[in-house]
Amino acid sequence: MNPRKMIKDAFIIAALKAFPDLKRQPLLLMVMGLISAVPLFFMLVFGGQIGHGLIGAMISTVGFIGVASSIQDITWDRYVKVREIIVAMPVHPISYMVGTALSPLIFSCPGTVFFMMLAIWLGFVPLQALGWIVAALLLCWATLSGIGFVISTYMRRASVYTLNNLSNILGIGLIFLPPIYYPEEILGDLSWIAIAFPTSNAAGLIRAYSGLAAFSQEMILIRWLALLAMMVISVLLVVFKAKWRET
Amino acid sequence: MEAVKSVNLVKMYRGKETVKALKGVNISIEKGELFTLLGPNGAGKTTFLRIISTQLLPTSGEAYVLGFNVLDEAEEVREHIAVVPQDVATYSNFTPWEYCYYFSLLRGMTKQKAKEMSEKALKSVELWELRNRTCVTLSGGEKKRAIIAAALSSDAEVLMLDEPTSGLDAIARRKVWTVLREMVEKGKTILLTTHIMEEAEIISDRLAIINKGELIAQGAVEKIKSLTKEKFRVMVEGSHKVLEKFTNNHSSVRFGSKRVIYVDNGDEAIELIRKALKNGLKAEASPITLEDVFVKLVGRVEFNES
Repeated sequence: MNPRKMIKDAFIIAALKAFPDLKRQPLLLMVMGLISAVPLFFMLVFGGQIGHGLIGAMISTVGFIGVASSIQDITWDRYVKVREIIVAMPVHPISYMVGTALSPLIFSCPGTVFFMMLAIWLGFVPLQALGWIVAALLLCWATLSGIGFVISTYMRRASVYTLNNLSNILGIGLIFLPPIYYPEEILGDLSWIAIAFPTSNAAGLIRAYSGLAAFSQEMILIRWLALLAMMVISVLLVVFKAKWRET
Repeated sequence: MEAVKSVNLVKMYRGKETVKALKGVNISIEKGELFTLLGPNGAGKTTFLRIISTQLLPTSGEAYVLGFNVLDEAEEVREHIAVVPQDVATYSNFTPWEYCYYFSLLRGMTKQKAKEMSEKALKSVELWELRNRTCVTLSGGEKKRAIIAAALSSDAEVLMLDEPTSGLDAIARRKVWTVLREMVEKGKTILLTTHIMEEAEIISDRLAIINKGELIAQGAVEKIKSLTKEKFRVMVEGSHKVLEKFTNNHSSVRFGSKRVIYVDNGDEAIELIRKALKNGLKAEASPITLEDVFVKLVGRVEFNES
């Protein structure tokens, strides 16, 4: 299939899934941001470290959306049969996956940008680290979207309710349990856990570039490699294991 | 060349119990005809349609769309077909226009062409005036027509519609029929699945009856109707005891105080009506319907059931 058409199709699918909702349900944008801002509120009230909280909020808007919305979106497609219609069209599975993953990213963008700007404005994140931060966020999103996509296509017989609950549990598990809203040093000897999750790995990298964590150059490299590896594995799983049409 | 052709198509669903959904189905659909796949629920209609539309792999056998093999040339097949799945719901935030426009873009059309095709499709299903209303505000029939419009806007040569009128009221159903017949007149080939006999009888050029994965009959409606020796049905209404007198030598089926008696020709039907009226019963005769033939062929209800 023509690579140009594949890319174009991905953007059309993203637009198809995002623009009608954005146009008619703009409050969704606020909801996405507010969910991520809840822990920040408690940090402000109980005297937590706001810098860590803002990084957590950035990861949360991108990461939660990556895994939870991907599953919910694909589940919803199953119900409204959009996937079935697209399956019988000259559209590549990768275009469908990327488009489906991109559409929630469109929703999460305003929230992420808001928290990022706030972090820069408050001096927690240096402007020159912006490129690295965006890269870490994108890798985190791609990894979680891939995981969400594979889960939803593998659990084709599960009900919409089961998948919705699962996606929320998975989202919460990946966002609120690992060290994302809090520094990984709190975990003591178990701080290595942070590398095992794409969300906390990305959060650790952002902290390192923001000066909130002191990592050696080797550790930064290891973390990038780990995040990259997770993303590659996740994409490979999508390419080879996700089933959206019998081939 | 046929628009759709299947040769010994077999599909088995393996699980705790292996289900043979299609048992060597041979179907041939000519270009420019409306072909209906008629069968009871679970007959294998959707399985057939999903294989033909490249969504499902057959266990064995071959299938072609416009000469392209659905297995080896799936991409080419997808270029030429548009599918309306069974029980399709609509995105509540979508408008009919968005359905048509975005799906046309996915077909590789330019924005201008997609707009033109969307307008044409929406006008043909009489949804142009409602094009900017969200689907949540549309009636069931309008939603169905929005999905059909999305398929039409693709300008695909072969349209595959899986029970497109199920759940619609009579008026909405007839509107869909009109649209489909108009498409056929414009040269499109339509493969439709249904279990509504009236629909199959009225709009099909040809049809196939499928039951438990097996092809029972295939051909024009009149040809299918000729498969039974009975050509007329006489509906007689009255007391059960009196009705019993009329069933001698005729196959019949009883619905409470009504009995439908099947006869071989018009003379026998007239004779039966005369006899019924003499006995003070209500009676009316009509040619045998596709439903009568279907029931007989599929064998769910025996004609001589009492």
